[in-house]
Amino acid sequence: MRQAVVHANPLALCVVGIAAVPGSLAVRDLDTGLIALGAYLVAVLLLTPSVRYALICLALAGFAGLTVAWSTWRLGGHDEALAATAALRIVVLAWPGAVVAGYIDPTRLGDHLGQNLRLPARPVVATTASMQQLGALLGDWQQIDRSRRARGVGRHGGPLARARVAGSMVFALLVTALRAGTGRAVAMDARGFDEAGRRSWAEPAPWSRLDVAAAVIGLLLAAVPLALHLLR
Amino acid sequence: MSSATDRTVKPARYRTIDLVTIATLGVAFGVVFWAWGKLYGVLDLAATIGYAPAGALLGGGWLIAGVIGGLIVRRPGAAFATELIAAAISMFVLGGTEWGFTVLVSGIVQGIGAELAFLAFAYRLFTLPVAMLAGVLAGIAGAIYEVFYYYPDWNLGHQLAYGGFFAVSGAVVAGLLGWLLVRALAEAGVLDAFGPGRERADA
Repeated sequence: MRQAVVHANPLALCVVGIAAVPGSLAVRDLDTGLIALGAYLVAVLLLTPSVRYALICLALAGFAGLTVAWSTWRLGGHDEALAATAALRIVVLAWPGAVVAGYIDPTRLGDHLGQNLRLPARPVVATTASMQQLGALLGDWQQIDRSRRARGVGRHGGPLARARVAGSMVFALLVTALRAGTGRAVAMDARGFDEAGRRSWAEPAPWSRLDVAAAVIGLLLAAVPLALHLLR
Repeated sequence: MSSATDRTVKPARYRTIDLVTIATLGVAFGVVFWAWGKLYGVLDLAATIGYAPAGALLGGGWLIAGVIGGLIVRRPGAAFATELIAAAISMFVLGGTEWGFTVLVSGIVQGIGAELAFLAFAYRLFTLPVAMLAGVLAGIAGAIYEVFYYYPDWNLGHQLAYGGFFAVSGAVVAGLLGWLLVRALAEAGVLDAFGPGRERADA
Protein backbone atom coordinates (compact mmCIF):
# COMPACT_ATOMS: atom_id res chain seq x y z
CA MET A 1 0.00 0.00 0.00
CA ARG A 2 2.78 2.40 0.85
CA GLN A 3 4.29 1.77 -2.58
CA ALA A 4 1.16 3.21 -4.21
CA VAL A 5 2.77 6.52 -5.09
CA VAL A 6 5.74 4.73 -6.68
CA HIS A 7 3.52 2.69 -9.01
CA ALA A 8 0.98 5.37 -9.89
CA ASN A 9 1.48 6.88 -13.32
CA PRO A 10 2.87 10.41 -13.59
CA LEU A 11 -0.38 11.94 -14.85
CA ALA A 12 -2.29 10.60 -11.84
CA LEU A 13 0.36 12.11 -9.57
CA CYS A 14 0.09 15.42 -11.43
CA VAL A 15 -3.65 15.38 -10.69
CA VAL A 16 -2.85 15.15 -6.97
CA GLY A 17 -0.44 18.09 -7.13
CA ILE A 18 -2.56 20.28 -9.40
CA ALA A 19 -5.80 19.66 -7.49
CA ALA A 20 -4.15 20.99 -4.34
CA VAL A 21 -3.72 24.41 -5.99
CA PRO A 22 -7.42 25.40 -6.26
CA GLY A 23 -8.24 23.31 -3.17
CA SER A 24 -5.98 25.42 -0.99
CA LEU A 25 -7.93 28.56 -1.88
CA ALA A 26 -10.75 27.31 0.38
CA VAL A 27 -8.48 27.45 3.42
CA ARG A 28 -9.93 30.59 4.96
CA ASP A 29 -9.81 29.68 8.65
CA LEU A 30 -7.54 27.73 10.97
CA ASP A 31 -9.80 24.67 11.46
CA THR A 32 -10.21 24.12 7.73
CA GLY A 33 -6.48 24.41 7.22
CA LEU A 34 -5.63 21.99 10.01
CA ILE A 35 -8.16 19.38 8.86
CA ALA A 36 -7.01 19.65 5.23
CA LEU A 37 -3.38 19.31 6.31
CA GLY A 38 -4.35 16.35 8.52
CA ALA A 39 -6.03 14.62 5.56
CA TYR A 40 -2.89 15.02 3.45
CA LEU A 41 -0.78 13.80 6.36
CA VAL A 42 -2.83 10.60 6.62
CA ALA A 43 -2.53 10.06 2.86
CA VAL A 44 1.25 10.54 3.02
CA LEU A 45 1.58 8.06 5.89
CA LEU A 46 -0.57 5.44 4.13
CA LEU A 47 0.47 5.85 0.50
CA THR A 48 4.09 6.97 0.28
CA PRO A 49 7.11 4.82 1.12
CA SER A 50 9.37 7.49 2.60
CA VAL A 51 7.96 9.47 5.50
CA ARG A 52 11.34 11.13 5.86
CA TYR A 53 11.21 12.63 2.34
CA ALA A 54 7.66 13.84 2.93
CA LEU A 55 8.70 15.49 6.19
CA ILE A 56 11.62 17.26 4.50
CA CYS A 57 9.15 18.63 1.94
CA LEU A 58 6.83 19.60 4.79
CA ALA A 59 9.65 21.45 6.53
CA LEU A 60 10.46 23.38 3.33
CA ALA A 61 6.81 24.19 2.61
CA GLY A 62 6.37 25.07 6.28
CA PHE A 63 9.26 27.50 6.06
CA ALA A 64 7.71 29.11 2.97
CA GLY A 65 4.45 29.27 4.93
CA LEU A 66 6.21 30.99 7.84
CA THR A 67 7.62 33.74 5.63
CA VAL A 68 4.13 34.32 4.22
CA ALA A 69 2.66 34.32 7.74
CA TRP A 70 5.18 36.91 8.86
CA SER A 71 4.48 39.26 5.94
CA THR A 72 0.72 38.73 6.31
CA TRP A 73 0.95 39.63 9.98
CA ARG A 74 2.95 42.77 9.26
CA LEU A 75 1.11 43.95 6.16
CA GLY A 76 -2.38 42.62 6.88
CA GLY A 77 -3.24 44.34 10.12
CA HIS A 78 -1.31 42.37 12.79
CA ASP A 79 -3.90 39.59 12.97
CA GLU A 80 -2.37 36.36 14.35
CA ALA A 81 -5.19 34.03 13.24
CA LEU A 82 -5.12 35.49 9.73
CA ALA A 83 -1.35 35.00 9.54
CA ALA A 84 -1.52 31.39 10.77
CA THR A 85 -4.27 30.65 8.25
CA ALA A 86 -2.15 32.12 5.48
CA ALA A 87 0.74 29.85 6.48
CA LEU A 88 -1.54 26.79 6.49
CA ARG A 89 -2.91 27.75 3.09
CA ILE A 90 0.62 27.80 1.66
CA VAL A 91 1.43 24.41 3.17
CA VAL A 92 -1.80 22.86 1.81
CA LEU A 93 -1.02 24.49 -1.55
CA ALA A 94 2.60 23.43 -1.90
CA TRP A 95 3.26 20.35 0.19
CA PRO A 96 1.21 17.67 -1.67
CA GLY A 97 2.70 18.73 -4.99
CA ALA A 98 6.21 18.80 -3.56
CA VAL A 99 5.82 15.22 -2.33
CA VAL A 100 4.37 13.76 -5.55
CA ALA A 101 6.85 15.71 -7.72
CA GLY A 102 9.59 13.60 -6.16
CA TYR A 103 7.94 10.44 -7.54
CA ILE A 104 7.35 11.71 -11.09
CA ASP A 105 9.78 10.44 -13.71
CA PRO A 106 9.91 13.16 -16.40
CA THR A 107 10.59 10.65 -19.19
CA ARG A 108 7.52 8.62 -18.26
CA LEU A 109 5.59 11.86 -18.03
CA GLY A 110 6.58 12.53 -21.64
CA ASP A 111 5.22 9.13 -22.71
CA HIS A 112 1.93 9.87 -20.97
CA LEU A 113 1.59 13.43 -22.26
CA GLY A 114 1.99 12.16 -25.81
CA GLN A 115 -0.16 9.02 -25.61
CA ASN A 116 -2.84 9.78 -23.04
CA LEU A 117 -3.33 13.52 -23.37
CA ARG A 118 -2.61 13.36 -27.12
CA LEU A 119 -0.43 16.42 -26.95
CA PRO A 120 1.35 17.06 -30.27
CA ALA A 121 4.10 14.45 -30.56
CA ARG A 122 6.92 16.62 -31.90
CA PRO A 123 7.05 19.15 -29.04
CA VAL A 124 6.63 16.41 -26.44
CA VAL A 125 9.40 14.25 -27.90
CA ALA A 126 11.73 17.21 -28.49
CA THR A 127 11.26 18.28 -24.87
CA THR A 128 11.72 14.80 -23.46
CA ALA A 129 14.82 14.31 -25.59
CA SER A 130 16.26 17.61 -24.41
CA MET A 131 15.57 16.63 -20.82
CA GLN A 132 18.06 13.81 -21.28
CA GLN A 133 20.65 16.55 -21.65
CA LEU A 134 20.08 17.76 -18.13
CA GLY A 135 22.83 15.59 -16.65
CA ALA A 136 25.23 16.82 -19.31
CA LEU A 137 24.22 20.42 -18.63
CA LEU A 138 24.79 20.06 -14.90
CA GLY A 139 28.19 18.57 -15.73
CA ASP A 140 28.92 21.52 -18.04
CA TRP A 141 27.98 23.94 -15.27
CA GLN A 142 30.42 22.27 -12.87
CA GLN A 143 33.12 22.27 -15.52
CA ILE A 144 32.64 25.97 -16.23
CA ASP A 145 32.77 26.63 -12.50
CA ARG A 146 35.94 24.58 -12.05
CA SER A 147 37.76 26.07 -15.00
CA ARG A 148 36.96 29.52 -13.69
CA ARG A 149 38.25 28.66 -10.28
CA ALA A 150 41.44 27.23 -11.78
CA ARG A 151 41.99 30.55 -13.55
CA GLY A 152 41.31 32.46 -10.35
CA VAL A 153 38.06 34.01 -11.59
CA GLY A 154 35.02 34.25 -9.38
CA ARG A 155 34.16 32.87 -5.96
CA HIS A 156 35.51 36.01 -4.34
CA GLY A 157 34.90 39.73 -4.36
CA GLY A 158 31.71 41.56 -3.50
CA PRO A 159 28.19 40.57 -4.45
CA LEU A 160 28.39 42.58 -7.67
CA ALA A 161 31.58 40.85 -8.82
CA ARG A 162 30.01 37.50 -7.99
CA ALA A 163 26.85 38.37 -9.87
CA ARG A 164 28.93 39.25 -12.93
CA VAL A 165 30.73 35.92 -12.73
CA ALA A 166 27.42 34.08 -12.33
CA GLY A 167 26.07 35.96 -15.36
CA SER A 168 29.02 34.98 -17.53
CA MET A 169 28.63 31.38 -16.38
CA VAL A 170 24.99 31.41 -17.41
CA PHE A 171 26.08 32.76 -20.77
CA ALA A 172 28.68 30.04 -21.22
CA LEU A 173 26.12 27.42 -20.27
CA LEU A 174 23.62 28.76 -22.80
CA VAL A 175 26.20 28.81 -25.59
CA THR A 176 27.14 25.19 -24.87
CA ALA A 177 23.52 24.11 -24.59
CA LEU A 178 22.37 25.87 -27.78
CA ARG A 179 25.27 24.44 -29.78
CA ALA A 180 24.41 20.96 -28.59
CA GLY A 181 20.74 21.64 -29.35
CA THR A 182 21.49 22.63 -32.94
CA GLY A 183 23.44 19.42 -33.42
CA ARG A 184 20.64 17.40 -31.86
CA ALA A 185 18.01 18.97 -34.11
CA VAL A 186 20.02 18.09 -37.22
CA ALA A 187 20.53 14.54 -35.96
CA MET A 188 16.81 14.15 -35.23
CA ASP A 189 15.82 15.40 -38.66
CA ALA A 190 18.36 13.09 -40.28
CA ARG A 191 16.38 10.26 -38.70
CA GLY A 192 13.10 11.54 -40.09
CA PHE A 193 11.80 13.27 -36.96
CA ASP A 194 10.17 16.14 -38.81
CA GLU A 195 8.44 14.19 -41.55
CA ALA A 196 7.40 11.03 -39.70
CA GLY A 197 3.78 10.05 -40.34
CA ARG A 198 3.47 7.30 -37.78
CA ARG A 199 5.35 7.55 -34.52
CA SER A 200 6.18 4.88 -31.98
CA TRP A 201 6.72 5.55 -28.28
CA ALA A 202 9.36 4.24 -25.94
CA GLU A 203 6.94 2.87 -23.37
CA PRO A 204 3.21 2.16 -23.25
CA ALA A 205 1.23 4.59 -21.09
CA PRO A 206 -1.51 2.59 -19.40
CA TRP A 207 -4.16 3.72 -16.92
CA SER A 208 -4.54 1.02 -14.28
CA ARG A 209 -7.07 0.91 -11.45
CA LEU A 210 -4.34 2.15 -9.16
CA ASP A 211 -3.84 5.25 -11.33
CA VAL A 212 -7.55 6.03 -11.31
CA ALA A 213 -7.61 5.53 -7.54
CA ALA A 214 -4.62 7.84 -7.08
CA ALA A 215 -6.22 10.58 -9.17
CA VAL A 216 -9.54 10.24 -7.32
CA ILE A 217 -7.79 10.36 -3.93
CA GLY A 218 -5.99 13.50 -5.05
CA LEU A 219 -9.25 15.14 -6.05
CA LEU A 220 -10.96 14.06 -2.81
CA LEU A 221 -8.11 15.43 -0.69
CA ALA A 222 -8.32 18.74 -2.50
CA ALA A 223 -12.10 18.72 -1.96
CA VAL A 224 -11.69 18.48 1.83
CA PRO A 225 -11.06 22.19 2.42
CA LEU A 226 -13.66 23.10 -0.22
CA ALA A 227 -16.33 20.98 1.47
CA LEU A 228 -15.49 22.35 4.92
CA HIS A 229 -15.60 25.88 3.57
CA LEU A 230 -19.00 25.37 1.95
CA LEU A 231 -20.46 23.66 5.03
CA ARG A 232 -19.69 26.61 7.24
CA MET B 1 13.81 37.26 -46.71
CA SER B 2 13.25 33.53 -47.11
CA SER B 3 12.16 33.33 -43.48
CA ALA B 4 9.43 35.89 -44.07
CA THR B 5 8.01 33.90 -46.98
CA ASP B 6 8.16 30.67 -44.97
CA ARG B 7 6.13 32.26 -42.25
CA THR B 8 3.41 33.53 -44.53
CA VAL B 9 2.95 30.01 -45.87
CA LYS B 10 2.76 28.19 -42.54
CA PRO B 11 2.64 30.68 -39.68
CA ALA B 12 2.74 28.30 -36.75
CA ARG B 13 4.75 25.45 -38.21
CA TYR B 14 7.70 24.86 -35.94
CA ARG B 15 10.91 23.48 -37.37
CA THR B 16 12.65 20.75 -35.37
CA ILE B 17 15.36 23.22 -34.39
CA ASP B 18 12.69 25.56 -32.99
CA LEU B 19 11.26 22.79 -30.82
CA VAL B 20 14.66 21.57 -29.68
CA THR B 21 15.86 25.09 -28.94
CA ILE B 22 12.78 25.92 -26.87
CA ALA B 23 13.26 22.70 -24.92
CA THR B 24 17.01 23.30 -24.58
CA LEU B 25 16.46 26.84 -23.31
CA GLY B 26 13.82 25.49 -20.95
CA VAL B 27 16.20 22.88 -19.58
CA ALA B 28 19.13 25.31 -19.32
CA PHE B 29 16.99 27.90 -17.53
CA GLY B 30 15.58 25.14 -15.36
CA VAL B 31 19.16 24.68 -14.14
CA VAL B 32 19.61 28.43 -13.80
CA PHE B 33 16.31 28.73 -11.88
CA TRP B 34 17.41 25.98 -9.58
CA ALA B 35 20.69 27.79 -8.82
CA TRP B 36 18.87 31.14 -8.63
CA GLY B 37 16.36 29.59 -6.21
CA LYS B 38 19.05 29.00 -3.63
CA LEU B 39 20.28 32.57 -3.75
CA TYR B 40 16.73 33.89 -4.05
CA GLY B 41 15.68 32.07 -0.88
CA VAL B 42 18.27 33.95 1.17
CA LEU B 43 17.64 37.35 -0.40
CA ASP B 44 13.87 36.92 -0.29
CA LEU B 45 14.06 36.08 3.40
CA ALA B 46 15.98 39.30 3.98
CA ALA B 47 13.30 41.20 2.04
CA THR B 48 10.53 39.46 3.98
CA ILE B 49 12.03 40.52 7.29
CA GLY B 50 12.38 44.06 5.96
CA TYR B 51 9.58 44.98 3.57
CA ALA B 52 8.07 41.90 1.93
CA PRO B 53 6.80 43.47 -1.33
CA ALA B 54 10.39 44.50 -2.11
CA GLY B 55 11.14 40.80 -2.54
CA ALA B 56 9.39 41.09 -5.90
CA LEU B 57 12.38 43.15 -7.10
CA LEU B 58 14.13 39.79 -7.40
CA GLY B 59 11.18 38.18 -9.18
CA GLY B 60 12.41 39.16 -12.64
CA GLY B 61 14.90 36.32 -12.53
CA TRP B 62 12.01 33.87 -12.88
CA LEU B 63 10.68 35.61 -15.98
CA ILE B 64 13.77 35.63 -18.14
CA ALA B 65 13.25 32.22 -19.79
CA GLY B 66 9.99 33.23 -21.47
CA VAL B 67 11.36 36.54 -22.71
CA ILE B 68 14.46 34.89 -24.19
CA GLY B 69 12.48 32.04 -25.75
CA GLY B 70 10.19 34.57 -27.45
CA LEU B 71 13.08 36.76 -28.61
CA ILE B 72 15.01 33.87 -30.13
CA VAL B 73 12.39 31.59 -31.67
CA ARG B 74 9.92 34.36 -32.63
CA ARG B 75 6.92 32.09 -33.13
CA PRO B 76 3.51 32.02 -31.45
CA GLY B 77 3.74 30.10 -28.20
CA ALA B 78 7.54 30.08 -27.98
CA ALA B 79 7.73 32.42 -24.98
CA PHE B 80 5.02 30.53 -23.13
CA ALA B 81 6.53 27.11 -23.86
CA THR B 82 10.05 28.12 -22.79
CA GLU B 83 8.86 29.54 -19.47
CA LEU B 84 6.64 26.52 -18.82
CA ILE B 85 9.39 23.98 -19.57
CA ALA B 86 11.90 25.87 -17.43
CA ALA B 87 9.44 25.86 -14.53
CA ALA B 88 8.65 22.17 -15.02
CA ILE B 89 12.34 21.23 -15.14
CA SER B 90 13.20 23.15 -11.98
CA MET B 91 10.25 21.47 -10.28
CA PHE B 92 10.29 17.84 -11.47
CA VAL B 93 13.88 17.13 -12.21
CA LEU B 94 15.84 19.30 -9.85
CA GLY B 95 13.44 19.20 -6.93
CA GLY B 96 12.01 22.66 -6.48
CA THR B 97 10.35 21.11 -3.47
CA GLU B 98 9.56 24.23 -1.50
CA TRP B 99 6.61 25.38 -3.56
CA GLY B 100 5.30 22.15 -5.12
CA PHE B 101 3.07 22.54 -8.16
CA THR B 102 2.80 26.28 -7.63
CA VAL B 103 6.08 26.45 -9.56
CA LEU B 104 4.30 25.03 -12.59
CA VAL B 105 1.33 27.38 -12.17
CA SER B 106 3.75 30.31 -11.89
CA GLY B 107 5.44 29.19 -15.09
CA ILE B 108 2.12 29.01 -16.93
CA VAL B 109 0.93 32.41 -15.69
CA GLN B 110 4.24 34.19 -16.31
CA GLY B 111 4.61 32.51 -19.69
CA ILE B 112 1.21 33.80 -20.75
CA GLY B 113 2.22 37.30 -19.64
CA ALA B 114 5.39 37.29 -21.75
CA GLU B 115 3.55 35.75 -24.69
CA LEU B 116 0.97 38.56 -24.71
CA ALA B 117 3.68 41.16 -25.39
CA PHE B 118 4.94 39.34 -28.47
CA LEU B 119 1.37 38.69 -29.59
CA ALA B 120 0.57 42.41 -29.25
CA PHE B 121 3.16 43.08 -31.95
CA ALA B 122 1.97 40.12 -34.07
CA TYR B 123 5.35 38.37 -33.68
CA ARG B 124 6.95 40.91 -36.00
CA LEU B 125 8.80 43.21 -33.63
CA PHE B 126 11.51 41.98 -31.25
CA THR B 127 13.18 45.18 -30.08
CA LEU B 128 14.32 46.12 -26.59
CA PRO B 129 11.03 47.88 -25.69
CA VAL B 130 9.06 44.78 -26.70
CA ALA B 131 11.37 42.62 -24.59
CA MET B 132 10.86 44.94 -21.62
CA LEU B 133 7.11 44.93 -22.15
CA ALA B 134 7.22 41.12 -22.14
CA GLY B 135 9.04 41.28 -18.81
CA VAL B 136 6.53 43.78 -17.41
CA LEU B 137 3.49 41.75 -18.46
CA ALA B 138 5.04 38.53 -17.17
CA GLY B 139 5.75 40.30 -13.88
CA ILE B 140 2.23 41.66 -13.57
CA ALA B 141 0.72 38.27 -14.40
CA GLY B 142 3.00 36.61 -11.86
CA ALA B 143 2.15 39.20 -9.22
CA ILE B 144 -1.61 38.81 -9.71
CA TYR B 145 -1.32 35.06 -9.25
CA GLU B 146 0.93 35.36 -6.20
CA VAL B 147 -1.18 38.03 -4.52
CA PHE B 148 -4.27 35.91 -5.12
CA TYR B 149 -2.72 32.73 -3.73
CA TYR B 150 -0.02 33.79 -1.27
CA TYR B 151 -0.80 37.29 -0.09
CA PRO B 152 -4.59 37.83 -0.25
CA ASP B 153 -4.59 39.25 3.29
CA TRP B 154 -2.09 42.04 2.70
CA ASN B 155 -3.52 45.53 2.55
CA LEU B 156 -4.23 46.66 -1.00
CA GLY B 157 -1.43 49.24 -1.02
CA HIS B 158 1.17 46.57 -0.27
CA GLN B 159 -0.32 44.28 -2.90
CA LEU B 160 -0.05 47.01 -5.51
CA ALA B 161 3.52 47.72 -4.40
CA TYR B 162 4.29 44.04 -4.90
CA GLY B 163 2.92 44.18 -8.45
CA GLY B 164 4.87 47.36 -9.17
CA PHE B 165 8.15 45.91 -7.93
CA PHE B 166 7.55 42.72 -9.90
CA ALA B 167 6.86 44.70 -13.08
CA VAL B 168 10.00 46.82 -12.66
CA SER B 169 12.07 43.73 -12.01
CA GLY B 170 10.51 42.08 -15.06
CA ALA B 171 11.42 45.03 -17.25
CA VAL B 172 15.03 45.21 -16.07
CA VAL B 173 16.08 41.67 -15.22
CA ALA B 174 13.97 39.74 -17.72
CA GLY B 175 13.51 42.40 -20.43
CA LEU B 176 16.78 44.35 -20.54
CA LEU B 177 19.10 41.56 -19.37
CA GLY B 178 17.28 39.01 -21.53
CA TRP B 179 17.57 41.21 -24.59
CA LEU B 180 21.29 41.80 -23.98
CA LEU B 181 21.79 38.07 -23.46
CA VAL B 182 20.09 37.25 -26.77
CA ARG B 183 22.25 39.82 -28.57
CA ALA B 184 25.38 38.35 -27.00
CA LEU B 185 24.29 34.84 -27.99
CA ALA B 186 23.74 36.00 -31.56
CA GLU B 187 27.24 37.48 -31.58
CA ALA B 188 28.63 34.23 -30.24
CA GLY B 189 27.20 32.61 -33.37
CA VAL B 190 24.83 30.11 -31.78
CA LEU B 191 21.62 31.69 -33.11
CA ASP B 192 22.41 31.49 -36.82
CA ALA B 193 19.25 29.49 -37.49
CA PHE B 194 17.07 32.17 -35.85
CA GLY B 195 16.00 35.75 -36.37
CA PRO B 196 18.57 37.37 -34.08
CA GLY B 197 21.43 35.48 -35.73
CA ARG B 198 20.24 36.27 -39.26
CA GLU B 199 19.94 39.95 -38.41
CA ARG B 200 23.51 39.92 -37.15
CA ALA B 201 24.64 38.25 -40.39
CA ASP B 202 22.72 40.82 -42.48
CA ALA B 203 24.14 43.77 -40.60
